[in-house]
Amino acid sequence: MKTRYTHIVLLTVLALAISACGGAGQSTPAVLRAGWAGSPDTVNPGTAVLSESYTIFALVYDTIYEYQLDGTYKLDVAESVEVSDDSLTWTFKIRDGINFHDGQPMTAKDVAFSVNLYKNNGDYIYLNAYTVNFDTVEATDDNTVVITLLNAVPNMDYLLSYLYVVPEHIWKDYAAAPASVEFENVEMIGTGPFKMLEYNQNEFVRLGANKEHFGNPPKIDEVIFQTFESDDVLVQSLRSGAVDMITEMPATAVETLQGDATIQVVTGAPFAPAVSDIIFNQVDPENCPTDVGGLCTGHPALRDRNVRLALAHATDKQKLIDIVLLGFGSPGLTLIPDGLGHWYNNTLKDYEFNVAKANQILDGAGYLDSDGDGVREMPDGSQPLNFRMHWPSDSIDAPRQAELLTEMWGEVGVTLELQAIDPDALTAECCPAFDFDIILWGWGSDPDPNLLLSVYATSEIPNGYNETGYSNSAYDELYVQQGVELNLEKRREIVWQMQQIAFDDVVYIIPFYEQSIQAYRVDKFTGWITDKPKVEISDVSSLVVIEPVK
Amino acid sequence: MSRYRYLLKKIGWSSFTILFVLLLNFFLFRVLPGDPARAGIHDPRLKKDAIEALRVRFGLDKPVINCFETLNPIKVGDCGVNPLDTQFFIYLRNLTQGELGFSFHTNRPVFEVLVGRLWNTILLIGAGQILSILIGVAFGMFAAWKARTSIDYAALITGLVAWSLPTFWLGIILLFWGSNHGFPIGGRATPGMSSQPFLSQAGDIARHMILPTLTYTIVYMGEYLLVMRSSLMDVLAEDYILTAKAKGLSTFQILKDHALKNAMLPIVTIIAINLGFTVAGAIQIEAVYSWPGLGGAIFEAVNRRDFPVLQGAFLLIAVSVVIANLIADLTYSYLDPRVQEQ
Repeated sequence: MKTRYTHIVLLTVLALAISACGGAGQSTPAVLRAGWAGSPDTVNPGTAVLSESYTIFALVYDTIYEYQLDGTYKLDVAESVEVSDDSLTWTFKIRDGINFHDGQPMTAKDVAFSVNLYKNNGDYIYLNAYTVNFDTVEATDDNTVVITLLNAVPNMDYLLSYLYVVPEHIWKDYAAAPASVEFENVEMIGTGPFKMLEYNQNEFVRLGANKEHFGNPPKIDEVIFQTFESDDVLVQSLRSGAVDMITEMPATAVETLQGDATIQVVTGAPFAPAVSDIIFNQVDPENCPTDVGGLCTGHPALRDRNVRLALAHATDKQKLIDIVLLGFGSPGLTLIPDGLGHWYNNTLKDYEFNVAKANQILDGAGYLDSDGDGVREMPDGSQPLNFRMHWPSDSIDAPRQAELLTEMWGEVGVTLELQAIDPDALTAECCPAFDFDIILWGWGSDPDPNLLLSVYATSEIPNGYNETGYSNSAYDELYVQQGVELNLEKRREIVWQMQQIAFDDVVYIIPFYEQSIQAYRVDKFTGWITDKPKVEISDVSSLVVIEPVK
Repeated sequence: MSRYRYLLKKIGWSSFTILFVLLLNFFLFRVLPGDPARAGIHDPRLKKDAIEALRVRFGLDKPVINCFETLNPIKVGDCGVNPLDTQFFIYLRNLTQGELGFSFHTNRPVFEVLVGRLWNTILLIGAGQILSILIGVAFGMFAAWKARTSIDYAALITGLVAWSLPTFWLGIILLFWGSNHGFPIGGRATPGMSSQPFLSQAGDIARHMILPTLTYTIVYMGEYLLVMRSSLMDVLAEDYILTAKAKGLSTFQILKDHALKNAMLPIVTIIAINLGFTVAGAIQIEAVYSWPGLGGAIFEAVNRRDFPVLQGAFLLIAVSVVIANLIADLTYSYLDPRVQEQ
């Protein structure tokens, strides 16, 4: 018996020794393991909704323009561009010698095919919206793509930065609905710095380096995005070394991780800026979109700017940031966040936190506590200032925020009825139904301000995206103007003016712009790009320059 | 003859239950508020036309059933529409053809989505069940045999504590402990293992199963231990056990031939119930260990109003619960022939 055990031990040692020798002989591939708390919903660019999908698209696909962490754009598969005098014809010269991951050459035809794919598929969730102003898209030869526009636009670079170049030889069979939306695209052939190796939905996405990439050949060999269902497990995985970086984490873990010498925490404006908002239902009964289900049951007091202004003065934003975000945010002004760089109007001066002033404004406007119960009533005494406050039940921050607001606004004689609501049901009561008083919600911003500026526009009331029901003709006019102003500086001036109007009218109270909190292990890879105005370590710019620590 | 009729009756009732669930499933999800075509998407880029196109693609442009356009909010519609052109009929027709449809959320066939997840769940919960049954029943028997000794009290306290531990809490504690001792703490397998030989893949999955299975085993072991102990103690107090002792039978013989079969009835019930719900997954354990099982799939589908996935998953759960109960009934009639006569 004893000898048998000895044999087993000897064999094991031998096996280990052999495998160790084998390992030493080959160079181990540099594999970056990233942890995230989500998973792509689909890798078909036309039907993807979740941001994780777009992270993968940015790595696997190229575009005509690429959006960078400093907020600017650079040409990507195009090497030069010529614009006609009327700005309606854009001629792009496409680089030579680019190959798809399956080895087939990429030409201008693929680029034109891709843009047309997004343009022709009206039921593509997001990407179709970028092409609505395109009239024709053609490849005149293998190196030239000509796009003609219906109207001149100031943000062509932005519009083209999400239109991923896909191979015509694969997608031509899926160019039209229903194939275009049913195609799973799991092989995901593109031209980008990384290629798809393996995709297990809700488990991981494994990408390999495209060392032949024309602009950004990665130094590492592979990157794996692994899904963890909770933030706490993400943090623990980073600490134990199971992953090398995490793209999100709870603010509560920052202190612990900062005490760990092997881990670097980075914070800053997120790649897609996040805006938290307090939505006041202020839709005018005249604008109530009854033909699309508008109920417009909002509290009448919220239509009065004085009430909203008083609430703004009664809101201690710094306290909200310190308690809800543990400090990782900046006070907000309008829906255009500071993360949008020069589009953000930094000359606006926020309403000071001043309870006395808030009370004074309400007293002056006739909202008095006539029955002495501590709650103010409407000037005609008809109903108390008691508002329903709802938020999406999947929000982690909102319950805390709602409690704090109850406390703060209670100081000025306003009471709240708090309720968390299923996000889908919240959309249904929000807009265009306008069946609410106040909602705590938020937006993720595109790099261009156009998207969030549209949220204040009267034309978006029936579409359900103007969630406050705010309507101001001066603002609407400027909104149209900024959409056609080709001079960057002039457009910026208009965009700033629009923020001033929205701010003065106290359409929303924007409690904060949340920061992105990410972390990586310093003992595994080096070279992360963290000094840009935006922080995103899973951005292609970082992933192509990092290399293993020697 | 009587056993045959009993079997037929049970199968008949089971089929009826499954049919009822099939019908209920359709309406259950359609009374949820919200619109699957907009589910969670609140973005100005999503235009009206695109939402309309999504509705058509999902078949939601058709009335739910005659006289009702939608069920939440309740919108009364034309009662004269061709019943063949309602969502309800299309649902029934697809079912008879064995088609569960496509997920709204991922565009993948529901069957494919669920089968992958189901296999993961069965693997995890199956291992956990087997271990907890073996350990729980064995310790329960031992405790009952050594009733009112310090061994019994130790087993009783262990069982009570284990059974009352909140699953997610125990999961997180084990996760933190495990991550510091080199155990994998998330997922089903190490990414990139698919090109490895089968044995190393299986070893990798087994390593990933250690912590979640341990969590599951500890909690359920407590349940089996407690039930087995009390059930066996009842039986051991019976007069015929005393008779057996008086006849001079050994401890082992008494347990094997006289006590165990009678004490197994409650255990069979719990095992059947637990196995039936195995398919639903242990959602808390799946969430803690990022295990891609069925529980998580259902949770996601509810959030996204992914009707086809929900319908498919609930059908699967209903069928497995019904079948597990059927098996329990039949086992009962074998263990205790009096059951079929009642």
